[in-house]
Amino acid sequence: MSQSLRPYLNAVRVSLDAALCLDNFASELVERHNYPEVEAGNNPMALLNPMHISRNENERVLIEPSINSVRVSISIKQADEIEQILVRQFTRFLTRRAENFFILRRKPVEGYDISFLITNHHTETMLKHKLVDFIIEFMQEVDKEISEIKLFLNARARLVAEAYLVPFDS
Amino acid sequence: MSLHAPAVVMDNGTGLTKLGFAGNDSPSFVFPTAIATSGGGVSNRRSTMPNYVIGDEAIAKADGSNYALSYPIRHGMIENWDQMERFWESSIFKYLRCEPEDHRFLLTEPPLNAPENREMTAEIMFETFNCAGLYIAVQAVLALAASWTSSKVVGQPLTGTVIDSGDGVTHVIAVAEGYVIGSSIKHIPIAGRDITSFIQGMLRDRGEAETSLRTAERIKQEYCYVSPNIVNEFKRFDQEPDRFKKYVAELANGRSVKVDVGYERFMAPEIFFSPEIATSDYLTPLPEVVDTVVQGSPMDVRKGLYKNIVLSGGSTMFKDFGRRLQRDIKKLVDERIHKSERLTGGKSSGVEVQVISHKRQRNAVWFGGSLLAQTPEFKNYCYTKQDYDEYGPGIVRQFSLFNVN
Amino acid sequence: MATELLEYHNVLLKSLFTEAIIEQQEPVAINQLVSDFDNVTYHISTPEAKSKILVSMYIKSWKDLVKYGAQDIIKREYKDLVTETEQGYDFSLLIDLDKLPNSLEERMKLVADLSLLRRNTMAAPFELAFKKFQAMNKEATQNGLDYYQPSAQDLEIMSIHYRDEESIFIQPNFDRVTVTFGTVFKDETDQVFGKVFLQEFVDARRRAIQNAPQVLYSKQPPLELRELIKKDAGNVGYVTFVLFPAHLTAQRQERCISHIQTFRDYFHYHIKCSKAYVHSRMRFRTDEFLKVLNRAKPENIERERKTASGRRFAAR
Repeated sequence: MSQSLRPYLNAVRVSLDAALCLDNFASELVERHNYPEVEAGNNPMALLNPMHISRNENERVLIEPSINSVRVSISIKQADEIEQILVRQFTRFLTRRAENFFILRRKPVEGYDISFLITNHHTETMLKHKLVDFIIEFMQEVDKEISEIKLFLNARARLVAEAYLVPFDS
Repeated sequence: MSLHAPAVVMDNGTGLTKLGFAGNDSPSFVFPTAIATSGGGVSNRRSTMPNYVIGDEAIAKADGSNYALSYPIRHGMIENWDQMERFWESSIFKYLRCEPEDHRFLLTEPPLNAPENREMTAEIMFETFNCAGLYIAVQAVLALAASWTSSKVVGQPLTGTVIDSGDGVTHVIAVAEGYVIGSSIKHIPIAGRDITSFIQGMLRDRGEAETSLRTAERIKQEYCYVSPNIVNEFKRFDQEPDRFKKYVAELANGRSVKVDVGYERFMAPEIFFSPEIATSDYLTPLPEVVDTVVQGSPMDVRKGLYKNIVLSGGSTMFKDFGRRLQRDIKKLVDERIHKSERLTGGKSSGVEVQVISHKRQRNAVWFGGSLLAQTPEFKNYCYTKQDYDEYGPGIVRQFSLFNVN
Repeated sequence: MATELLEYHNVLLKSLFTEAIIEQQEPVAINQLVSDFDNVTYHISTPEAKSKILVSMYIKSWKDLVKYGAQDIIKREYKDLVTETEQGYDFSLLIDLDKLPNSLEERMKLVADLSLLRRNTMAAPFELAFKKFQAMNKEATQNGLDYYQPSAQDLEIMSIHYRDEESIFIQPNFDRVTVTFGTVFKDETDQVFGKVFLQEFVDARRRAIQNAPQVLYSKQPPLELRELIKKDAGNVGYVTFVLFPAHLTAQRQERCISHIQTFRDYFHYHIKCSKAYVHSRMRFRTDEFLKVLNRAKPENIERERKTASGRRFAAR
């Protein structure tokens, strides 16, 4: 793990830990409704200050806490065109399977690549520290996966090009 | 587009895949839905260029060498998407030799396929292959469409009972107005493979010189037929000795042996009608199953279901199979009518029972697909890549039904 | 042939004719529509008798190919098999199964030739270019290389519009033949992946295979082609192969033509293969993520608790 990655992930972990302190909270504005306040955003009393954690301008995390829900948005590193397209493909692939991912938001918050929405319901049925683990692991693995795919693509392209050009010379 | 870039019809079954172009009356390629991989296989994600071959080549390669063989489809449903994607890739580029961007594709799916599976299929077809258009049809509905070529069928009904018997399993499926009645589907564990092994068993009991599975299969294909009544058939065999045949089997070493073919000619297909002669696990005759399926469907479509019983798949190809089936089902239906007439004192107008046999029975599903995909309207029913990009994979959950006029 | 390369012949034509001509199976009625790469459609039928197989071929770029002598090549390769052209197609061959050559070798050759229909038709402009190159090359060596000026007519660029928005351009010269493929990317992913691939094609010569043709890639049409390409469809990439005299020798020529024809399809095939691979990695990774997430679910949450003697707690 590189030098700046560990503190970055640590910061995310600690902040998430603090933010994931959720309570069941019935809406104060609409009778008999109970929705994630961070999504509705219409009750300033229920919202807390959002925070940015960034390693550099490409790798950022936005944590938006509220009384009964937290929205975590991640911007994944994209150094070039290939990484851009791969990140887009991958996040699309994941959101398409959002059903299985419980906490995955079907649409990322604008300016980010992927968002998670954790509600008090999730923290009640799942282990909180494991949820945080998941987010951290996700951030780590996505980067690794993208660069591995990129490496593969280059290696494959090389083989393909060589396989094609060899017959000209035999 | 229609003449010079014919639509591609792919029917991927558990055992066999049928590939070809719309407008043809038979598929261009029929081979096992099998894929053999080497170089670590698909599971090894580090290998940059795994080698793989599909179909007959895969089966051949799997013998001995370092290739691993797998079947991506189980029980009609795609189980291994990685392998299936590769299977399609080879099908399109190595066998059909077409650029998927130029062609529309008609794919088939089993009844009660999960909508998620459709989405996965669309994801692959559009994202990997950029195919020009996609239509996914239910196999049973295509089998119905294939029967439209028969002179016995009036119009183009989308209501009927499909009996689909391949190598592994026989399905009986009721279709009403183009929709499968899921609750009434029945599966019968008797199909081609059981008939072959039944023949093999009889050959062995008699102590024939050659009793391999291959020989049994050839005998099944060449000599077997369905008799109206087995007791009478035994008598006829005894009276007319020329009903006994001889099959000349070629051995691996070049010599050939003569194998006597006797009662198994009509006994083997009889297991559909009297399963008790072959197994004690499953005892319901096929006509009874068909009757149950129709009775399990909504009242108002039953007449249409009895009137249009369509056969599909290789194991329904025995001579007089349809005729015997029709007679037996008719008997069951008539008995029921008599009983209700007796009880109510009323008079029934009768129920027509008709079993349709036709020339394209063997590859009925594929042929039905070819028939639909060659029509000029086909392109209106397909979803395009633009549709997919705009609405996402959920779009393929609904395809409008075909009516070829 | 290595599995990553595409065959030069059509698999279906080959198997069909192998059955009919080499194995001499009982003739059957045939009526099949078959397609091949580069907008080729074959119609194989037996209109007169089961023993007379009619093969008709449609190829999108026929008009261009005729200009460069495709008809002569078909005559040369298929001689008296050529028959009256079926309507809607570009040319037809009639194979009479009762009048086959006797020796097995000749029959094998016939099957091989028939399955290369597309390759042979498309070969016309390449052959012409190679011929011009030979002539110019000879003249140039005789006159001294430094003073040789090829005539404009000999340098004429041949263009073959083989797909809707894509063309091949071939230009002979006295020391080389350049073949340029214009290829469209329908999809953004294809475009990005394509770029990675093409970069490797360009680099391969420098790195590994010194004797390979030089490959150039650009987003704009090469200078010589600017006039020919008036309308750019957008998302087009131009890949140029520079074939040097070593690739154009008589014994290599045939192979070279077969091989270079497959470039476009080979290239797009592998882009698609890579996408399939990326998909399978993503499937794997998604499953891994799910496993991690599922660890967050407390296990056995529903497990019934019992006392040591096995009695249940009663619900209150």
